[in-house]
Amino acid sequence: MNRFNKILSPLLQPLAAILVGLIAGAIAIAIAGGNIVETYSEMWKGAFGGFYFLTNTLARATPIMLIALGVALAFRSGFFNLGSEGQMVIGAITAAVIGLYMPGPGWLVSTAAIIAGAVAGGLWSAMAGFFDYRFRVNLLISTLLLNYVVVLFARYLVSYPLKDRTGSAGLNQTPMLDASVWLPKLFKGMPLHLGFIFAVIAAVLLYILLKRTVMGYEMRMIGGNPLFAVYGGVRRGSMMMTAMLFSGAFAGLAGAAEVLGTQYRYLDGALSSAGYAWTGIMAALLANSHPIGTAVAAIFLAALETGAMGVERNTEVPLEVGDIIQSVLILFISARLTYSFIKRRKGQNTDGTAV
Amino acid sequence: MEQLFDLALLNTAIRVLTPILLAALGGALCARVGLFNVGLEGFMLLGAFAAVVGNHFLQNVFLAVVFAIVVCMLFSLLFAYVSINLRANVIIVGIAMNALAAGVTTFSLRAIFDVKGAFYDSKMVGLPKWNIPIIQDIPVIGQIFSGHSPLVYLAFFCVALIWFYFYRTVSGFRFLASGENPLAASSVGLPVRRYQYGAILVSGALCALAGAQLSLGQVTMFTENMTAGRGFIALVATMLGQSGPLGVMGASFLFGFMDALSIRFQGLALPTQFTDMLPYVVTILAMFFFKDKSFMQEAQKQGTSSR
Amino acid sequence: MLLQMDKITKKYGEFYANREIDFSLDKGEVHAVVGENGAGKTTLMRMLYGMEQPTSGTIRLHGKTIAFNSPLDAIRSGIGMVHQHFMLFPSFTVAENIVIGNEPSKIGTFDRKQAARIVEQLSEKYGMKVDPWAVVGECSPGIQQRVEILKVLYQGAEIIILDEPTGVLTPIEVGELLEAIKQLRKQGKSFIIISHKLHEVLDVADRITVLRDGKVTGMVGKEETDVNHLSRLMVGRELVELEKKPVQRGDKVLEVTDVTLRGNKGKHILDHVSFDVYGGEIVGIAGISGNGQSELLQIIAGLQQADSGRVAVNGTDTKNKNTRQIREQGLAHIPEDRYIWGANRSASVLDTGLMGHHRKLQKGGFLDFKRVRSMVSEWIAKYSIKAGDSLSTTSQYLSGGNLQKLIVARELAQGTPFLIAAEPTRGVDIGAMETIHTELLNKRDSGAGILLVSSELTEILKLSDRILVMYEGKIVGELTAKEATEEKIGLLMAGGA
Repeated sequence: MNRFNKILSPLLQPLAAILVGLIAGAIAIAIAGGNIVETYSEMWKGAFGGFYFLTNTLARATPIMLIALGVALAFRSGFFNLGSEGQMVIGAITAAVIGLYMPGPGWLVSTAAIIAGAVAGGLWSAMAGFFDYRFRVNLLISTLLLNYVVVLFARYLVSYPLKDRTGSAGLNQTPMLDASVWLPKLFKGMPLHLGFIFAVIAAVLLYILLKRTVMGYEMRMIGGNPLFAVYGGVRRGSMMMTAMLFSGAFAGLAGAAEVLGTQYRYLDGALSSAGYAWTGIMAALLANSHPIGTAVAAIFLAALETGAMGVERNTEVPLEVGDIIQSVLILFISARLTYSFIKRRKGQNTDGTAV
Repeated sequence: MEQLFDLALLNTAIRVLTPILLAALGGALCARVGLFNVGLEGFMLLGAFAAVVGNHFLQNVFLAVVFAIVVCMLFSLLFAYVSINLRANVIIVGIAMNALAAGVTTFSLRAIFDVKGAFYDSKMVGLPKWNIPIIQDIPVIGQIFSGHSPLVYLAFFCVALIWFYFYRTVSGFRFLASGENPLAASSVGLPVRRYQYGAILVSGALCALAGAQLSLGQVTMFTENMTAGRGFIALVATMLGQSGPLGVMGASFLFGFMDALSIRFQGLALPTQFTDMLPYVVTILAMFFFKDKSFMQEAQKQGTSSR
Repeated sequence: MLLQMDKITKKYGEFYANREIDFSLDKGEVHAVVGENGAGKTTLMRMLYGMEQPTSGTIRLHGKTIAFNSPLDAIRSGIGMVHQHFMLFPSFTVAENIVIGNEPSKIGTFDRKQAARIVEQLSEKYGMKVDPWAVVGECSPGIQQRVEILKVLYQGAEIIILDEPTGVLTPIEVGELLEAIKQLRKQGKSFIIISHKLHEVLDVADRITVLRDGKVTGMVGKEETDVNHLSRLMVGRELVELEKKPVQRGDKVLEVTDVTLRGNKGKHILDHVSFDVYGGEIVGIAGISGNGQSELLQIIAGLQQADSGRVAVNGTDTKNKNTRQIREQGLAHIPEDRYIWGANRSASVLDTGLMGHHRKLQKGGFLDFKRVRSMVSEWIAKYSIKAGDSLSTTSQYLSGGNLQKLIVARELAQGTPFLIAAEPTRGVDIGAMETIHTELLNKRDSGAGILLVSSELTEILKLSDRILVMYEGKIVGELTAKEATEEKIGLLMAGGA
């Protein structure tokens, strides 16, 4: 297989899935009574039409990228970590608490908040991993259920002890963080903040980890065939804990970065309703958990969402058209991935394993 | 403490366990043919929404439920096609279907009713309350078991129906065989794929009923994401009940009871968030008692991880 | 002639699995098809059974040309197949397994009592005793095979195809099966037996067709041939006797003391197993698979825990140690199933070869790819592994034999004093088999101790210096290479003294 083919063919599948997604979107737009071409052009403008919109898209992509990378790491290692939402929230609330109540110079508090958020997310995630390793509690379901537990707990915190009683807003949220603690914006007046740099660095680090390190090798092998990995001396328990720890830490970091970089407080439901966690999971699935691909997919999905918001502002079509495109996309990506796999497998069988 | 446990609580428990039971029965059917259906949550949500839409436009509760079943079965067809014919990883397809359901329901909420968040129509009639003639007069039993929506009774009927199907009929026997050893089953000519499609379609219908019970059973309204994880709790009930109709019913009782208890707790001094947490925490704790197959056994069966 | 297959050819792409094969079967005849792995036996039968279509050639049944599109067609025409890997439902009863597809029923409900009665009648008629209410998963392989045969008889089979029927049977059960075949033949049933066990075939078959590389190399009547003649037709040459150097015994590399593993039905999977392996020798464990060998190896390698007893690798106790620690003590392991344990199908050849070495070829946590690549390339050259054009070829594209060679190379390269070799040449072509056998002997000559487990008695006899026989979780006998004969071992394998 020549070089060109090797690079192009893995891209063919995602591109085909995107096409199908756009067609589904077109159907939805037609049902909603909108003009397809006009709608899609508003979508493009909403995502990329101008520097503000571009930075807005990237700012939205920041938490999605971080979560997606964490999820990609877990999936690559063979663990269905669906608890990113909870891990993000626990990271966010931890960062908010540190940011509000820790004394010291702004840069110190900021750094501590970020680290604490990542650690909180990591520990919460590792706990679920521990339950699976030690007590055989199915990871997929436990992480899903733990999301609800954490979100409800955080809601309690900002409705009672941590509630912002100043101001007349009456929302369940913490007080606003002092400006000295905020993550700096990358461009004056634009929404893009330092968190995006974290996300890019995280993508590169994940790539290096998986491709070039011993730990990354063990993670990939445990994901590909856990029996083979254990046979060869890889310790599944410590791999699971490590993978979940990192995975949750990425999500916690996402939450912390949102709090310190965009929202400047923890507002009940803000992170959940934005759907960062599920979009992140979609991005990892879209890119088959490849580190760089996942980051790109995350930006793509964020663009879909900001574009959809532009559609909402400027047309009659609701912004949820973006959600529909996203989920149809995933449906078809998961199908195509394995479809071409079977075609190759059938080919293999004609070549000599038939006895 | 007498306030906490009374007959009204058990009555609530029966009502609340119904969606979980229906979805879990669907999950059990799919599990028996080798498909881990993570999409129960999404189908339940679709069912809840479709029931409200049907009720609004068709002005008839019964037709609304039928409409919900049709909608869910159509989406189940998609799920079945992608998982079975296109051989995609059934867990990923389930996740995608959940996302699709959330997207479609929210989108349609806007596109059809032009509202955000919830749809409520005071003119809509919900599911009737059936007072069973003789039973309702028996002192304790009557207060617990009478006065529920028809879907509640249908759910228990389904338990009996599925039990009979699995363990007494020829078709059910072949269905179970297809799941136990698909290769052997197709070698004697059993249509394994047909059973898999059937399981998914029926589970779609069951989830539609579950959703309809949610949106038309007590209050007649649809709220975004109103299933709130019940589909995943149903999946745990399936696992706890070892995919058998009676076991699933027992597990659903447990979770329904916990759900009812948490509603009852809301009256007391605890903040609502903690009472809301109760069902999820209990479900997680229940999972400690379920000896899930070790990853070695699962991995050897599928040649890959299922965690 | 009941069945006639003329010039049957089956091509997969450019590869000929069967090439112009002629085959015939008379009523009441037992006709065996023999050949090595990969000779094309199973392919031929799959076409007869409707699981494949011939590329060219005709099949005639009762003189009429037929084309089967599925196993159902074959079953309806009276052809039944008992597969090598049983197609049974472990949680169902014997009766349920036999009648499935044609269940006695009353208005849609399954009449299980009637099914049991039917099974008892069949059991009487054909002289194969089974308990209709027994749960199949709890039955012995011998009984399970009876269930399979009764199943095809219930479906109305006149021609019964048996694919490698004796692989999982004890010698006594083999005897019972051959008797049953002779009985059924008297009742007018015809058999096609696929096998590579020449002694059994010569016992029961009327005619024998030999396949090699997809072609018929000979078709003989029972009286006209013997084992040597048949193996020459199968392999194309005389089986070579390998010259083994005398044993130079070194230190103890493995010490197994009183290892016990309880099963879940009270029966012991391993029952107070004790033995030692020294450097410089190959200890072979003979026995039908399923007598505890797999579990024993898993315990030694650290993949499973024993309930009691002690295992020491190179002098150190392995209790509560994980696989990595045990490997570091000096153990390497050629696993019995290369796809389940030995490789990662979706990983590259490089990654598959790296396993077990990955902690040693690193610098500060980062893999030293230069050294890894040169190591694996060396193996490819040394063992003639056909691995595509680069090391990043995905493992699943390697043929069974080449993947096995890669795994053997990988484990030998560990240079450990102790090696487990489990079914090292299963499903592997002759050329690869000889390479692997040579390398194993070289390792033994270099002073390492090897624990060989194989269900192929010829392999055990060829390579081992000492032979242990396992039966129902116990070591029931030990023989030196000189004392060992197939008869003695066969007797021990069956539980006799």
